[in-house]
Amino acid sequence: MSLTTPRTDWRAGIERRLTRTREFVDDTDPEALAVVLASMGSLVAAFFGFLLASAWTAVPLGAFLIATGYGWVRHQALVARAVSFAMTTVTLVTLGLIVVFIFVESIPAFRYETTSVFGVSVPGLGMFAQTRWDAVSEPVRYSLLPMIHGTVMVTAIATLVAAPIGVAAALFIAEIASLRVRELVKPGIEVLAGIPSIVYGFIGFTVINPWASGAFALNGGSTYLFVGMVVGLMALPTVVSVAEDALTSVPDVMKNGSLALGATDWQSMISITLPAAFSGVSAAVLLGVGRAIGETMAATVMLAGIPRISDPLVNVFYGYETLTSLIARGYGSANGVHESALFVAGVVLFVTVLCLSIASQYIEARMRRRLGGAE
Amino acid sequence: MSRATQNALVRDDRTAYETVTGTAVGLSGAAFAVGLTALLDVVAIDYSVAGLELSVAFGAVLLALGVSVVGFGMASRLGYVDAAPQPSAGIVAAVAFTGIWFAVGAVVSGAAGLGTGGRLGVGTVLGGIAFATTALPREDVGSTAPAGALAGLCGLSLVSGVVGPGWEQVLVGYNATLFGDTVVPVLVLFASLVTGWSAAKAYGGFGARGRNVGAYVLIYLVVCSILAVLVGLVAFVTVKGLPGLFNGFGVGGAGLVRWPFLTNGAGLLADIAGVFPALVGTVWLVIGAVLFAVPTGVGAAVFLSEYAEQGRFTGAVEVATNGLWSTPSIVFGLFGAAFLIPRFGNQKSLIAGMLTLGFMLLPLVLITSREAILAVPDEYRDASAALGVSKWQTIRSVVLPAAIPGITTGVILGVGRIAGETAPILLTMGGGVLPGKSAAPDVLGSFQLSASPPFVSNPALLEATSALPYQLYALITAGLSGNIQNPQEYAWGLALTLLLVVLAFYAVGIATRYYFRKKLHQ
Amino acid sequence: MSQTDAEAVTTTANRTDGEAVSTTAGETVEETRPEWTSYEAGGETKLAVENLDVHYGDDHALTDVSMDIPEQSVTALIGPSGCGKSTFLRCLNRMNDRIRAANVDGTVELDGEDVYQDGVDLVELRKRVGMVFQSPNPFPKSIRENVSYGPRKHGDIDTGLLARLTGRAEPGREEALVERSLERAALWEEVRDRLDDNALGLSGGQQQRLCIARCLAVDPEVILMDEPASALDPIATSKIEDLIEDLAQDYTVVVVTHSMQQAARVSDQTAVFLTGGELVEYDDTEKIFENPESQRVEDYISGKFG
Ligand SMILES: Nc1ncnc2c1ncn2[C@@H]1O[C@H](COP(=O)(O)OP(=O)(O)OP(=O)(O)O)[C@@H](O)[C@H]1O
Ligand SMILES: [Mg+2]
Repeated sequence: MSLTTPRTDWRAGIERRLTRTREFVDDTDPEALAVVLASMGSLVAAFFGFLLASAWTAVPLGAFLIATGYGWVRHQALVARAVSFAMTTVTLVTLGLIVVFIFVESIPAFRYETTSVFGVSVPGLGMFAQTRWDAVSEPVRYSLLPMIHGTVMVTAIATLVAAPIGVAAALFIAEIASLRVRELVKPGIEVLAGIPSIVYGFIGFTVINPWASGAFALNGGSTYLFVGMVVGLMALPTVVSVAEDALTSVPDVMKNGSLALGATDWQSMISITLPAAFSGVSAAVLLGVGRAIGETMAATVMLAGIPRISDPLVNVFYGYETLTSLIARGYGSANGVHESALFVAGVVLFVTVLCLSIASQYIEARMRRRLGGAE
Repeated sequence: MSRATQNALVRDDRTAYETVTGTAVGLSGAAFAVGLTALLDVVAIDYSVAGLELSVAFGAVLLALGVSVVGFGMASRLGYVDAAPQPSAGIVAAVAFTGIWFAVGAVVSGAAGLGTGGRLGVGTVLGGIAFATTALPREDVGSTAPAGALAGLCGLSLVSGVVGPGWEQVLVGYNATLFGDTVVPVLVLFASLVTGWSAAKAYGGFGARGRNVGAYVLIYLVVCSILAVLVGLVAFVTVKGLPGLFNGFGVGGAGLVRWPFLTNGAGLLADIAGVFPALVGTVWLVIGAVLFAVPTGVGAAVFLSEYAEQGRFTGAVEVATNGLWSTPSIVFGLFGAAFLIPRFGNQKSLIAGMLTLGFMLLPLVLITSREAILAVPDEYRDASAALGVSKWQTIRSVVLPAAIPGITTGVILGVGRIAGETAPILLTMGGGVLPGKSAAPDVLGSFQLSASPPFVSNPALLEATSALPYQLYALITAGLSGNIQNPQEYAWGLALTLLLVVLAFYAVGIATRYYFRKKLHQ
Repeated sequence: MSQTDAEAVTTTANRTDGEAVSTTAGETVEETRPEWTSYEAGGETKLAVENLDVHYGDDHALTDVSMDIPEQSVTALIGPSGCGKSTFLRCLNRMNDRIRAANVDGTVELDGEDVYQDGVDLVELRKRVGMVFQSPNPFPKSIRENVSYGPRKHGDIDTGLLARLTGRAEPGREEALVERSLERAALWEEVRDRLDDNALGLSGGQQQRLCIARCLAVDPEVILMDEPASALDPIATSKIEDLIEDLAQDYTVVVVTHSMQQAARVSDQTAVFLTGGELVEYDDTEKIFENPESQRVEDYISGKFG
């Protein structure tokens, strides 16, 4: 949405808002105003108290509850509006806090891994310019490249599994299945999304890894191949449900037009529905990729847990470590710079997935605009 | 006046052709299914069927399929059947077959001992031939000949025993070996897929209709596989987990159910180790997350869809919400560890886990609630506003009741998802591997008031607590061993319990959706 | 294959030019029958509908409709909203198959072949019985691609990479087909310079004519139009009306309309449906509008009812 808003004149906007606020204050019952101000003020105070880890946080929190409770009885409409506004800001605040906290925690590792290029010292470059990760023995280095390699391998295999199968299943649900079959398949795929990742990991650890070890005569059973396939299965429901939404949002009249010209169902899907929903379907794949990148437990349990790049690079028969499994495995026993380096892995994950999310939202917004013009 | 190009609505009788091609599709499907069981080691490839080794039988079937697929194309090309092939099989099929045959050439010549140059050369030649055979002749030949040849080649190598039981190939440099036991089923799966598609095209008479049938066969296969995987997974965990879950189960005493696995801890005192503390931990975790996220998410959804004007602020909130939705769970864990733990006694605690999961649940609740509220028709609001009812009254008595079904469903499904999350609580809540019964948190009984800040405290919330998914992870990292009778059985029982808890949420969520939808239609 | 196609297209072109002067069917009716049910229009019957019943779930949308639609003429369907005109139209090319609740009984014969018998190739049927929808629904593609969509899907035109590599592509043929169809739909002059623009950028009237051109490019025998002018201004409407009259020289046109004037102006025979999906009267257009048999039809036409 925000991506489509045209730039408005700031000054005029602020002025308008000021006037409106003044009018609003004039029109409102002063007592109601006081109650709402008290409630919001104490909420803000409680938030800062919590942020500063103050033992007194409970006081403003209690004040907030009392003021809001009183206001709810006496001035419900205004209080409801104010409280719901406060709740809306929670998402923004949460995202902001995540950014601040994981970035702040990652600073020591960035400092530690400062490397100079052409006389300019670049913090953090050492994490991406060499390949050694060793937190114990000298030289202690924190390169993320082995884990990035692992994440790329797993994500690539997962995408190869989830994207074609997911789009095919979405086509089936949106275009082919009869009502009754759809009522069976759709919840089925939802349930697939619900199976906890640790259960997948458990099955992988106890069944797939030993099997792979025997079937390919490997040293140990950790493979990027099967971790990738399991993660692909986990990313599948995301792809299916988002792509299916995009496909069903294509107006039916368009498809009818194609059928009435004597095109087959398949031709209509491929030439009309899929292209019209293309952005939505690509957004679905992007979100699926995001899920695959962020998938943690199956990778942690199934991978060997050694920060190493496989040899040759595309050797899918051995699986070492991904960014997510590095954090899950290492956090708790790590401290100091080591712990901070785990936060850097978190930053890399967070930024990558956030970019994917924003890209997919942008693509979807564009699709909605285009189809909006078609109706 | 009838025109020169007029075609009959019903094609000439093609029943015989359809029967034969249909049989070939079915046979391919059967080969695929049996191949799958062989891959999963349910049957061995040297198992003997009617005096033949399974792998040889596979080969014979593939050979027959390959020959008949080529035959289908020829029958149409020579005009024995009424089909409607297009001038060419199309670029997609051409590229696919080129790639496949290139790979075949490279692999086979590699096995014959050629170097990289030789492999590329053979691959390119075969790929080129495949491209020409697919792209240049009419569709009926182009989409059958390369497919049939492929299946024939696979069939021949299996029948002749070139690839079969005992066959092995070391992948130099990869430190891995391919064995007949896996390669044979994979060949069968792949070849039967190709013949199935090709025979399906023939069944549809090639052309637009043939492509339709061919594509549908593949899509149906995909969907059936997904459902099979789902059912297989659930069934597998159930079968493995039932002994653990029902260990010592009985209806005894004063008519009460005895279910030690769910009511015992894992301490030394328990005769049968159970998961009670983790179960209680999960319950409290979910309650805490819901208490935080549901009011917040629903409130935000109300504000966004009823009060806020579309603009920069709502846009930012939307981007933030979707961003939070896709943020990896482990990042939430890191955030909880960095933000919440220092503020709750500097140690992993139940409340830190609750809030972390609450942060994760928030975008799920917000997105589904917003959808549900937006789905309430504007007429409702207008009708209410026209009666002079204030905005908040309208929201409270018209909009929210109409949106409740959607919100409820969304919340239940969201809770199902976070109930199984491990990564965030791994970093924030911790807990023991095999906690005794006393480790179960007693949240309600632990509230304490004091005269000095923070005035209210609850030690149970501030303690590291186990939950089902975390305990399963901890057991796995402990190498599935511990101070209990049968750790394996215990772990599977735990996995089943977790799965059932999560699936119960999903079942309830989906059932709620049906219930409300039914009610709406009445 | 490509040769036969080329011939087919040329034959069509010849016919379009050569037989443009053939008489329209409706004018040669010799007598008016007292019983409308046994009304026989002149010319050969193109579509014979027999005892057609349609249910949507439990709703009865069409009740026992029988009528013969003659070749190369315009047949208008009129009646109040919801009386089943669109439903009837959709039965003729089996677009009702797309509606899950719809349940069709009875027969529809196209040149003596029942379109509801087993084994009917829907692709073939819809190639022969084209349809223009109530609201314009161009594809979100270029104008050129919209027009050549049908022939491409039927393999008559192939400009794909492979076809170009093997020399099978004949770009000239596509150009000619696009031009001819657009010209026929009276749109060529307006869009000749922007054939590669997105069709969604056209005005509503232009979009509707594009949909007609798209339908003509497939060279059907019957064209079904569902209120083709419902969303258009008077000028665009009259363009479409001229077009319909013109099309009747080569095609069998069945058109649903809400405007009596339009029915009177363009059609040779008119069928009046009334609420409940009943075909109340079917006769020469003049007869229907000047001297209908049924009192209900007279009331409907004079605006007393419906
Ligand atoms: N898809 C459908 N599902 C259920 N009922 C339908 C459907 N389409 C039409 N109907 C019902 O069938 C009856 C006839 O509808 P139809 O669309 O054929 O009318 P119409 O004469 O074309 O009306 P209008 O002039 O308004 O377009 C109506 O009562 C309508 O409610
Ligand atoms: Mg209609």
